[in-house]
Amino acid sequence: MLKLAVYGKGGIGKSTVTANLSAALADMGLSVIQIGCDPKADSTVNLLGGTPVCSVMDYMRRHDREPERLDEICRSGYGGVRCIETGGPTPGLGCAGRGIITTFQLLRDLALFETYRPDVVLYDVLGDVVCGGFAAPIREGYAEGVLIVTSGEKMALYAARNIANAVRNFEDRSYARVWGVVMNRRNVPGEEDKVRAFADEAGLPVLADLPRSDAINRCEDAGKTVIEGAPDCAAAACFRRFAQALWKSRGEDGGDAVFGGKSAVKDAPVDSSCQTCRGAGESER
Amino acid sequence: MRNTACSIPTYASDTSGVCSALYELGGMTVVHDSSGCNSTYSTFDEPRWYDRESLIFITGLTEAEAIFGREDRLLDDVAAAAAEFSPAFIALCGSPMPFILGTDYAALAGELEERCGLPVLGLPTTGIRTYLSGADLAWTALLQRFCDDVRPASAVTINILGATPLDLGLNGSVDSMKAFFEGRGITVNACLAMGGSLAELRRLGAAAANLVVASSGIGPALYLKRRFGTPFVAGQPIGLFAEDVLAALVRAAESGTDMSPCSAHHGGEGDILVAGEAVAAASLACALERETGRACRVFCPLGRGGEALAAGDVLLDAEDEERAAELFAGAGAIVADPLYRPVCPKGTPFLPLGHVAFSGRCHLGTIPDMTARPLAEAFDLSFGKSHGGKA
Repeated sequence: MLKLAVYGKGGIGKSTVTANLSAALADMGLSVIQIGCDPKADSTVNLLGGTPVCSVMDYMRRHDREPERLDEICRSGYGGVRCIETGGPTPGLGCAGRGIITTFQLLRDLALFETYRPDVVLYDVLGDVVCGGFAAPIREGYAEGVLIVTSGEKMALYAARNIANAVRNFEDRSYARVWGVVMNRRNVPGEEDKVRAFADEAGLPVLADLPRSDAINRCEDAGKTVIEGAPDCAAAACFRRFAQALWKSRGEDGGDAVFGGKSAVKDAPVDSSCQTCRGAGESER
Repeated sequence: MRNTACSIPTYASDTSGVCSALYELGGMTVVHDSSGCNSTYSTFDEPRWYDRESLIFITGLTEAEAIFGREDRLLDDVAAAAAEFSPAFIALCGSPMPFILGTDYAALAGELEERCGLPVLGLPTTGIRTYLSGADLAWTALLQRFCDDVRPASAVTINILGATPLDLGLNGSVDSMKAFFEGRGITVNACLAMGGSLAELRRLGAAAANLVVASSGIGPALYLKRRFGTPFVAGQPIGLFAEDVLAALVRAAESGTDMSPCSAHHGGEGDILVAGEAVAAASLACALERETGRACRVFCPLGRGGEALAAGDVLLDAEDEERAAELFAGAGAIVADPLYRPVCPKGTPFLPLGHVAFSGRCHLGTIPDMTARPLAEAFDLSFGKSHGGKA
């Protein structure tokens, strides 16, 4: 089983990246679960035709009890991707981090993995690692690798650095490790140089270089990923190549199998493949 | 059900269950909680505290440490204490505030183990679940780490599982059980864990059958069954029912089949309602039926021990005072901890039987050693007097 957590600054495209990866992995014939870990509960909406699944927190709020069956909080979307959202408390109240922990415990009690036996689990996590709840996806038994999504924008890189440091603080524990950086382009000046400089400094490979694409926006307006709504576009090709490389990386060595782990910064195969995609996708930027 | 307890206390928590389960096993139990809370776990819920030492510590969690996630201080303090006291193992468990914070006990245990060079158990107690789940959690984790690969004995050799003062009180009943079995030619290999030791725990696999005397022992019994194939028998050898337990142990050892002789009481619509932990209450129900001829029903609000119950008994997943009052109202007589009296109907005969997990040390004196002796020696089985509780 391949289990990855996607982190990054708010609004940087984590859900877009995660949902497109889920869709691409599903197209490869794999059984995929995507778990949105954000109070907004919008991680999986573009796998579900724009109609969101009832989040775990919403379910508990409405019914005043925990769900007793997985189908009460899990819906199948594009390609059979099973979509779950933790959701969160009423804005301004409660504790969103605690909501994630509660959801994870509940999913364990409901035997999520044993029931669906997924090939891939993707966690889409809100923003920075701000408290114990937002570190829950990287604990032992959950994600094995962390993908940090960033653009070349200053604050996105700042958040990416914080995330990398936060995960590194748990090196003494059997937690997930950062596999690398996903460059989601915003077309800011010198973007690639800035992202690579950060990655070099953090000792991380750049795993993917995703083009800015109007197709993504058009598809999301229709409640779809580009894998579903514009499968022939360059962005979709990028996501497919990235998904294939991630799937190849599974196994006992985790990310080391393909990406060389933290110490290997350069020559990541996905990076080179995406250069090709990027060239083909100029018209979409 | 509203799961409320307004006039009656709540049962001891899983944290107390861990402390009680490990009390005599030579380890160091550390509860992640605020300073002063050791009183809850180790004095109110632990009658051995005044007579016997045990290494039970509180981390002294402060508001600032909670906010800043200063788990480094916890690790430093535990490592320092371990260096000073050299325990056989460390058990780290929690309380409600760390539960809300999402403390990762398994990860902390891993770090401590690396640092101290000792076995460390990370036990994710919440302070919200029952003492039975805490004791079960602690023992099962300990068995996984310490139980040796031994060959089952050929003779009829048993272990006693689930023995803590929280259920048995402090009245010599474990010694009486051992004497009863030994006197009938059955060797007691080990007791988990009153009067037991880590050395005994290591050889738990050598028994031909396990006797579960409280439902906290069911988890360890299932573990031993999986690992060694040892069958278990649920029941306490109390009153004249002791002979049934003995016979079930012999049959279980011979056949390898689990047995629950204490579920042989009447159950639904029984005349006498026995409230408490499932195995103890069901065993008492059997013993009472034997001596009084009156049908007994069991009410257990602790959510565990269904294996011990009869059809028509009531097992609730949570305490619910209103449901308890309904059940007591329909009973011809009641056997329960004295602190249940406020929700019992006035005029219904009430036999007080203390339960440490419910009333702490308040009613220790009402918990007699009932092992293999007629209940009439300990109780007025005519239920002659009503209790005078509220209408």
